Amino acid sequence: MDAVVRNLLNGISYGMVLFLAGAGMSIVMGVMGITNLAHGALYMVGGYVGWTIAIHYGLSFWLGVLLGGFVSGLCGLIIERGFLRHLYKQPNEQVLLTFGFVYILTNLCIWIWGGRHRMQFTSRSLSGLWDIFGLPYPIARIVIILIGLAVGVVLWWLQDRTRMGAIVRAGMDDKEMTKGLGINLERVSMFVFFLAAFIAGIAGVIGAQLMGVHSVLGFDILLLALVVVIVGGMGSIQGSLLGGVLIGLIDTFGKSLFPQMAMFTMYFAMIVILIVKPSGLLGRKV
Amino acid sequence: MEALRVEGLSKDFGGVHAVHHVSFNVEVGERLVIIGPNGAGKTTLFNLINGQLLPTSGRIYFLGQDITDMTTHRRAHLGQARSFQIINLFLNLSVLDNTLLGLHGTKRSRLQMFRSMKSYGNLLSNAQESLEAAALWDKRNELVKNLSYGEQRRIEIALSLASKPKLLMLDEPSSGLTRDEGSEIIALIRNLGSTITVLIVDHDMDLVFGVAERILVLHYGQIIVNGKPEEIRADPRVREIYMGVEECMDRARAD
Amino acid sequence: MANAKPEPIHQTLQGQLVRLSPFILGAVILFLLPAFLPAYVQTIWTKFLIFAIFATSFDLIYGHAGLLSLGHAAFFGAGGYVVGVLLLHYEISSFWICAPLGVVVASAIAAVFGFISLRVSGMYFLLVTFALAQLLYSIAWNWLWLNSPGMQGIAGIARPDLGIPSFRWTPIYFYYFVLIIFVLCFYLVYRIMNSPFGCSLRGIRESELRMESLGYNTWFHKYIVFIVTGAFAGIAGVLFAYFNRLISPVHLAVGTSFLPMCMVIIGGTGTLLGPVIGAMVIVFVEYFSSLFTPERWPLILGGLFVAVIMYSRGGIMVYLSEIWKRIGTHYGSTQS
Repeated sequence: MDAVVRNLLNGISYGMVLFLAGAGMSIVMGVMGITNLAHGALYMVGGYVGWTIAIHYGLSFWLGVLLGGFVSGLCGLIIERGFLRHLYKQPNEQVLLTFGFVYILTNLCIWIWGGRHRMQFTSRSLSGLWDIFGLPYPIARIVIILIGLAVGVVLWWLQDRTRMGAIVRAGMDDKEMTKGLGINLERVSMFVFFLAAFIAGIAGVIGAQLMGVHSVLGFDILLLALVVVIVGGMGSIQGSLLGGVLIGLIDTFGKSLFPQMAMFTMYFAMIVILIVKPSGLLGRKV
Repeated sequence: MEALRVEGLSKDFGGVHAVHHVSFNVEVGERLVIIGPNGAGKTTLFNLINGQLLPTSGRIYFLGQDITDMTTHRRAHLGQARSFQIINLFLNLSVLDNTLLGLHGTKRSRLQMFRSMKSYGNLLSNAQESLEAAALWDKRNELVKNLSYGEQRRIEIALSLASKPKLLMLDEPSSGLTRDEGSEIIALIRNLGSTITVLIVDHDMDLVFGVAERILVLHYGQIIVNGKPEEIRADPRVREIYMGVEECMDRARAD
Repeated sequence: MANAKPEPIHQTLQGQLVRLSPFILGAVILFLLPAFLPAYVQTIWTKFLIFAIFATSFDLIYGHAGLLSLGHAAFFGAGGYVVGVLLLHYEISSFWICAPLGVVVASAIAAVFGFISLRVSGMYFLLVTFALAQLLYSIAWNWLWLNSPGMQGIAGIARPDLGIPSFRWTPIYFYYFVLIIFVLCFYLVYRIMNSPFGCSLRGIRESELRMESLGYNTWFHKYIVFIVTGAFAGIAGVLFAYFNRLISPVHLAVGTSFLPMCMVIIGGTGTLLGPVIGAMVIVFVEYFSSLFTPERWPLILGGLFVAVIMYSRGGIMVYLSEIWKRIGTHYGSTQS
């Protein structure tokens, strides 16, 4: 029984990291129509910055989280303002461009931080165990779950309850008209993209508690984020949350029940969804 | 002989009745024009007949066959063809390539992978014929995106005629054209021959009354009137819908 | 024009020669030049030809059909793995068994992946092709049967056995071997590009809606091209396994899918020569980079790629066609 609860909590906490890693990508895809393949690289950049702050300089972990988010957000902003903006209405070229940035960002990270894998690290305040129904469980993972939920609520509120979400959706359909109505679409697009990258960055530091930081994260996280988007559905916060947790649980239970099949359980879930409901569990019709 | 029969056709978009219980039929060779204010459901109706959309309820019969669930390309093989309201051409391909694509659509050769496109002599001469008729043969190697709007409209119509269809659906063929260009379209439609059935959606009253044998008036997705042009002109309900169009109708009557 | 046949009219012999000159020049370079180069450079040329096939296959599906598939390496790697597996487990090294089987397996995988991927479109199609290729990657990584003992991938792949008694491979022989296959593939793709099917792909790229209403079963056309390009990628993969002497999971992954994308963008999408030129650029720039800054190669590749996307929409082919047109008008040749 202990093992089941432990797996459950592990799966959910891992799933929260996946949600955080993929939420930004899903928002930008569903709301701005841009597929940002560099999203995983932004996660990685955040993770490296967080490591630098928390381990290299020995400062506060939470400062690392914030700065990681900001640096990633900045990178995302540069990609959007400097490059993607000029490829409006050319979705294929946009995707390719972001893919090129995966290579650029990955190699820059190797250049700056070297190719060594950085081990898992966490805040001193979180490195301990709590009692969950008599089971000693890492505090850090509980906190991850809470942060994931908090971010999820905030994002949902932003997307569904604010004028801004509606503005971005309108801008996607008809840029000229939206601008003609006096709405500063550029400002809103910039904010959305920055926010998405910011979340990827903090996800990178938070996730580093489970996975550490390394230079292949750019691709690995991209893949995970994509599976979350496919399973959960594009453009839906609830979908990303559901997809993330589901994949986290499937992966964790899969690894413990069928260790040889470890990597495939996730893919099976994805293929099943694709055959049965291609638009994802909570996604809009494709 | 019926070319097209539509029975109780409806299309809902989550609460919006774009097309609501529409029923009518069209005889072979007939010229039916559909008019109505913007948003009345005219293009949706075309999309249902041509297969871009599947209806929420109702049935469609084409030349006696139930085509309600049939894919668009199968309908093309049965003899349907349409032009689009917003110009829908292969912009980065040449005029000739556009025409050849149109000609191959219903031929077995469209899946051929080894013979050169240009080696199909008879298709090439068909292409030459229709391009010369549209006065575009000299521009056959131009990319379509470099042509003028009027020229693109001509190709739009030429493409829809390429497969020698039995039912031709023209969605606002005169939209954006000058008066002269519009008259050309009217002349073209008049010359189409009695084996082709023609369904037109348009707002240009010259074209509507110049071509129609029967007119369907659509409003909020429903048929308001279905009758001969004179009946439509006289119908008070139509005037109500088209307040301000009376002047156009008077002019058309005077022509 | 009074003629019944609308064919090109006036072409002097000089004009004909000018029109064909790029191909003549290319043939001369490809057939003669490497014989005079050092062995190591010959292998670079061989690598270029293999990737030219790979890139050309990708252009068919991206440049012509307009489908951006991020998992094209799946078919490339599959071809390579067939060679490896036949050698490792069945000790078969005959080219005449490995190559056709490689193409068949690659095509079969393309048939399955295509079926799943084409259930969705647009951005989803992208993601699905990516994820499916990664699935194959993780299978290759984990399934022991696909790995030489104690390592990742299959090593020790020798040059192909052609069944010719007392024949010994040298770099230049292998180069010509690959060149022949390249020319064959190039010719086949040329025919496909100019065929009604090839034209239909471009039509689908421009307006799938229109194609449907003209009578084309666009899903079917897309499915066919998916399989055909998978087959060509498979052939490239087979040759690559022989060339590289090692096939590993990374050759199935998205990193390998990126290479033909770069080549096609840099060379020029939707053209016959674009992918070939792009392959030449990438392979040779990589070679030079490996001499000076091998660690920074991905950065150079990414930077080059981003620069071309931002500032040169048609790739190198745009500039080359301009030059060629000007030479053409200068010599007075006319084209249809």
